[in-house]
Amino acid sequence: MSRLEAKKPSLCKSEPLTSETVRTTLSVLKRIVTSCYGPSGRLKQLHNGFGGYVCTTSQSSALLSHLLVTHPILKILTTSVQNHVSSFSDCGLFTAILCCNLIENVQRLGLTPTTVIRLNKHLLSLCISYLKSETCGCRIPVDFSSTQILLCLVRSILTSKPACMLTRKETEHVSALILRAFLLTIPENAEGHIILGKSLIVPLKDQRVIDSTVLPGILIEMSEVQLMRLLPIKKSTALKVALFCTTLSGDISDTGEGTVVVSYGVSLENAVLDQLLNLGRQLVSDHVDLVLCQKVIHPSLKQFLNMHRVIAVDRIGVTLMEPLTKMTGTQPIGSLGSISPNSYGSVKDVCTAKFGSKHFFHLIPNEATICSLLLCNRNDTAWDELKLTCQTALHILQLTLKEPWALLGGGCTETHLAAYIRHKTHNDPKSILKDDECTQTELQLIAEAFCSALESVVGSLEHDGGEILTDMKYGHLWSVQADSPCVANWPDLLSHCGCGLYNSQEELSWSFLRSTRHPFVPQICLPLEAVGSASNLTLDCLTAKLSGLQVAVETANLILDLSYVIEDKN
Amino acid sequence: MNSPRESGKGLGLPLLVQLLEILVFLTAFADNRAAHPTWQSCGAFPPSGQKGSPLAQPRSRVTGFRVFSPPIPFPAVPPLFSVGPGVLQAGQKGEAAQMLSSMAATGSLKAALQVAEVLEAIVSCCMGPEGRQVLCTKPTGEVLLSRNGGRLLEALHLQHPIARMIVDCVSSHLKKTGDGAKTFIIFLCHLLRGLHAVTDREKDPLMCENIQTHGRHWKNCCQWKFISQALVTFQTQILDGIMDQYLSRHFLSIFSSAKERTLCRSSLELLLEAYFCGRVGKNNHKFISQLMCDYFFKCMTCKTGIDVFELVDDYFVELNVGVTGLPVSDSRIIAGLVLQKDFSVYCPADGDIRMVIVTETIQPLFSTSGSEFILNSEAQFQTSQFWIMEKTKAIMKHLRSQNVKLLLSSVKQPDLVIYYAGVNGISVVECLSSEEVSLIRRIIGLSPFVPPQAFSQCEISNTALVKFCKPLILRSKRYVHLGLIGTCTFIPHCVVLCGPVQGLIEQHEDALHGAFKMLRQLFKDLDLNYMTQTSDQNGTSSLFIYKNSGESYQAPDTGKGSIQRPYQDTVVENKDELEKTQTYLKVHSNLVISDVELETYIPYSTPTDTFETDETLKCLSLERNMLTDDYEPLLKNNSTAYSTRGNNRIDISYENLQVTNITGKGSMLPVSCKLQNMGDSQSYLSSSMPAGCVLPVGGNFEILLHYYLLNYAKKCHQSEETMVSMIIANALLGIPRVLYKSKTGKYSFPHIYIRAVHALQTNQPLVSSQTGLESVTGKYQLLTSVLQCLTKILTIDLVITVKRHPQKVHNQDSEDEL
Repeated sequence: MSRLEAKKPSLCKSEPLTSETVRTTLSVLKRIVTSCYGPSGRLKQLHNGFGGYVCTTSQSSALLSHLLVTHPILKILTTSVQNHVSSFSDCGLFTAILCCNLIENVQRLGLTPTTVIRLNKHLLSLCISYLKSETCGCRIPVDFSSTQILLCLVRSILTSKPACMLTRKETEHVSALILRAFLLTIPENAEGHIILGKSLIVPLKDQRVIDSTVLPGILIEMSEVQLMRLLPIKKSTALKVALFCTTLSGDISDTGEGTVVVSYGVSLENAVLDQLLNLGRQLVSDHVDLVLCQKVIHPSLKQFLNMHRVIAVDRIGVTLMEPLTKMTGTQPIGSLGSISPNSYGSVKDVCTAKFGSKHFFHLIPNEATICSLLLCNRNDTAWDELKLTCQTALHILQLTLKEPWALLGGGCTETHLAAYIRHKTHNDPKSILKDDECTQTELQLIAEAFCSALESVVGSLEHDGGEILTDMKYGHLWSVQADSPCVANWPDLLSHCGCGLYNSQEELSWSFLRSTRHPFVPQICLPLEAVGSASNLTLDCLTAKLSGLQVAVETANLILDLSYVIEDKN
Repeated sequence: MNSPRESGKGLGLPLLVQLLEILVFLTAFADNRAAHPTWQSCGAFPPSGQKGSPLAQPRSRVTGFRVFSPPIPFPAVPPLFSVGPGVLQAGQKGEAAQMLSSMAATGSLKAALQVAEVLEAIVSCCMGPEGRQVLCTKPTGEVLLSRNGGRLLEALHLQHPIARMIVDCVSSHLKKTGDGAKTFIIFLCHLLRGLHAVTDREKDPLMCENIQTHGRHWKNCCQWKFISQALVTFQTQILDGIMDQYLSRHFLSIFSSAKERTLCRSSLELLLEAYFCGRVGKNNHKFISQLMCDYFFKCMTCKTGIDVFELVDDYFVELNVGVTGLPVSDSRIIAGLVLQKDFSVYCPADGDIRMVIVTETIQPLFSTSGSEFILNSEAQFQTSQFWIMEKTKAIMKHLRSQNVKLLLSSVKQPDLVIYYAGVNGISVVECLSSEEVSLIRRIIGLSPFVPPQAFSQCEISNTALVKFCKPLILRSKRYVHLGLIGTCTFIPHCVVLCGPVQGLIEQHEDALHGAFKMLRQLFKDLDLNYMTQTSDQNGTSSLFIYKNSGESYQAPDTGKGSIQRPYQDTVVENKDELEKTQTYLKVHSNLVISDVELETYIPYSTPTDTFETDETLKCLSLERNMLTDDYEPLLKNNSTAYSTRGNNRIDISYENLQVTNITGKGSMLPVSCKLQNMGDSQSYLSSSMPAGCVLPVGGNFEILLHYYLLNYAKKCHQSEETMVSMIIANALLGIPRVLYKSKTGKYSFPHIYIRAVHALQTNQPLVSSQTGLESVTGKYQLLTSVLQCLTKILTIDLVITVKRHPQKVHNQDSEDEL
């Protein structure tokens, strides 16, 4: 009889947010994430104390996946940020900081959770409808006919990840590569439904970043010896490809649940090998030039194919199968018997290539929607960070393709939004409250908490003791160096706002972000010519930011709503 | 069960020590409760570090079993508090025995009350529209957000036996109705409080008089049993009557037309909104209830039958997809069925798509289980492999020729099958769970395809038409999206639930599932259910009902509106008795009654009398004698006042007799009651609670029932009936009190209550401050479940913990045999 153990009783805590430990841990988490935020964010080194892998990063995805949080409330926060990042790649830190700020600010007010949650929700929907509206003053349309805005978008992502350790020149190079890789995945003659291809990132460590490159098609890594053995093909037309997903090693496949009795002297191996050679003969007679196999090819078959001037490459692995299928247009073959002629695909050409110390077998497609991004960086940790960043950028570009808008970055969207909400709640509180039971005072309090939470997110962009200002016309963000001499001449001290759209030579008035200000109407409707002329903008992805905003407010609401925590101690 | 006296002797010191522990626990507990707002409890009880908490794991002791506290009233044994366990000597056995008796005296009521109060504290914070969330962690480290009372109670892993019993009662109630766990606890707590208050008031002077006698224990047990019987009587006899006679006129119907059972969207919205108010977070409940409403109307055809609710309820897990990382507002409803798998092969196809389901590999294998395949030569092996290949190819080609473009498989298919499927343009989905397969089969009524043994060109009958079949990408994860054409009344749709964390999605999923359970109950043919219920449960119900109807007959005299609610109550204890009555009636033939009419009742009668011991028969005969004694005046009465009435009926209930025996109050009262009954029990019309009965939310049901119960109690003659009704009536108010806890001024509970009572007294319609509806059936079921639970608690007089699992008898036997 199995031993049954009675379950231990759970631990039940009431009003978890009022406990001191929760507050401390929340503020620790907040300090970790705020210090990482932005282009001048500080890096975090994560290691486990027993040596081994060390991760240096300032990205939320890497940071949070390595952080082990135990408190259930923190777990809610981190998992919701991680879930957001895994679907949108970007704006993870923004989400985490905003959520922490909201919880902190609202707790200070001491209003009932019901009121807070209701009003937070109203403010969120106000933000979202504004950001989605035509009159929104902080978003710009993305023009796919020129690379300018797309490059700005990619560059903004790269510069916001300082752990990639890129110089300005390298940043330019990598952003151009990413954009090229993305453009290569868009099919040329697309009607109606577009299916994007894929950019495969090929690691090439210990090389200069400048050596990174993009190639159409697929690179299969091979040892030099193997590569030498492959015979050069001289053929003017496209090459015929057969792609096997089943093993060609001569294993006897599943024989069923019963027993198979083999008489003495009967060699099944020979029988199977015969079969394989028959297959080889069929391939040769079908004029196949290239045989690719996901699993292992029997050496005899390989040799047979080589003898007939057919290139055989095995052990491709499951990850490359899908891009290969897509690129060559084959049907992965699962049969050792007759092969339908429709199953064959083709490539334009094959060649060998050497990058750094690595040798590759390069399949060049007829029509490219699959490309390989060879990514170089000096060391492992920097390469990991760069790879994550590239994936983020590629994903962001895809999201932008779906929703061709970008938000002004550099904190300008947040300050602008805060100004808008302040203005709205002051001048038109009735439209927000509608038929709710909340009072206007409660709305003012919550709106202030919400706006200051947004503003302190951008406040954490500044790590070097500088000051952050906002102008009273556009509601954009301006930052001043820490050691600036006096307050007298703002236009000279400030050159451009955070996103780079406006310069200080206009007639503007500024005020400190942290000081109390009178609500003003931020100028809505962006002048398009201004956007056209500005070449170096900082931009954020609209989709990711919107979702981040929603997730942050929803998660904060969720955490504020908790009245008990029941911890299962089993 | 051992009598406590015996066990007290047998246990001696260990028992005493343990009882002391219990005392320690109780004091600690009382302290904790005093500082209520901030206390942290361990599984709702004192921190595990607390010395000897009876709720914690039993520590290893010499005794084979251990007595749990049917708790000790504090004032009864004050000196024990100052004595530490170490000081206690073996000589104090006598004291232990005394304690035992006093301990048993209060029964399990106090323990249950304390348990229930702790649970109430947790549960009431998530109750109602103002309720908040509770975060539960699983042992695996996952977090779950919940406002579902049942989940919370389970997550606590309670150890106190009474607590566990309560949780069991709640979960069995939930399994049936899907709603009301929190109300259950609150109501139960208030009932226990009421009972406790009553018994304290009544028994305290008594207790001082003879505290030493062991006999008291049994007396008290009798008293508890007595109360619990009164509760049963109330639940089975009185409640139905009140529901039907008084409450039913306040009922609204969810259906816009009762006959066709058409449901209008706005009323369903009101119902669901009220439901989700208590189940999901404040910021999402509107959205989720809209989603549910949409889902409901998209899935249901006009001929919505109960089977659709059953289908959705049974397969809810398969009918929804959770997507983390997206805001909740991205949740939506998708037409068709979404399988949480990816295609093994996907071949885009449109037009006439047919599909088949297979449950085994299509490729023939060398040998099936139990058989042997003998290979004699290499050529044989090659030919068989070739044959297998050709066979597979032929089957796939055949499928293709039948226009089959989708193959659903519950097992993994070999590469060969996948390849030929791809070649033939057949999409394949593998490794479907058995639930998914059975759901698809239920929707489209398709049986699995079996590859033909002997290949023929015949048509495959087991195919079904599919509108579309395509991949669906939700947050970069791929799913299979099927446009099934349902053959039943269910139009397949799926809910995609989004949320920032899995815990929230699970909460919404839970709530949606519960809502379907609730609707399933609401849509049930309740009139039928109700009737059978009354005839099953009301084995002894005639007593009350007749009396009740007697009251209603008096009402017209005083000018009240006529509420001659007819009763379909047909319980006759046994046919013998009826015959006796019959003959009896024949003797007194001055009634306007014919034998034929009486005969017609015989088919209705359900002879449920299973405990016909000699004693009962004796009682019956006794009762009959008395009846004959008193029958004369009644008949006179009848012939004069109610001469136009139809039938007369006599019911003699076993239980009532027993009650009167126990109380020893003589049979005067019941008999007099019966006399009245007989006079008034003439009309039997069928009555029922139709399906879809709803009331406005905000404690309306509770206040109404409270009001009518009080009225009833006033007219009631039997003291215990009055007491039970009063206790229940007052306990009912506890629920709206929690609901309006945070409201002030005009919307505070006293205001609401006074307004409601005033409206009832002046016969004005009730005005509810909140919009939203709730199911009456659910409330009714909740009430009966709580009363049943309470009866269960009251009938326990001692809890014994044993080290081992109580083994089943036959298990032991089999072990002995071995």
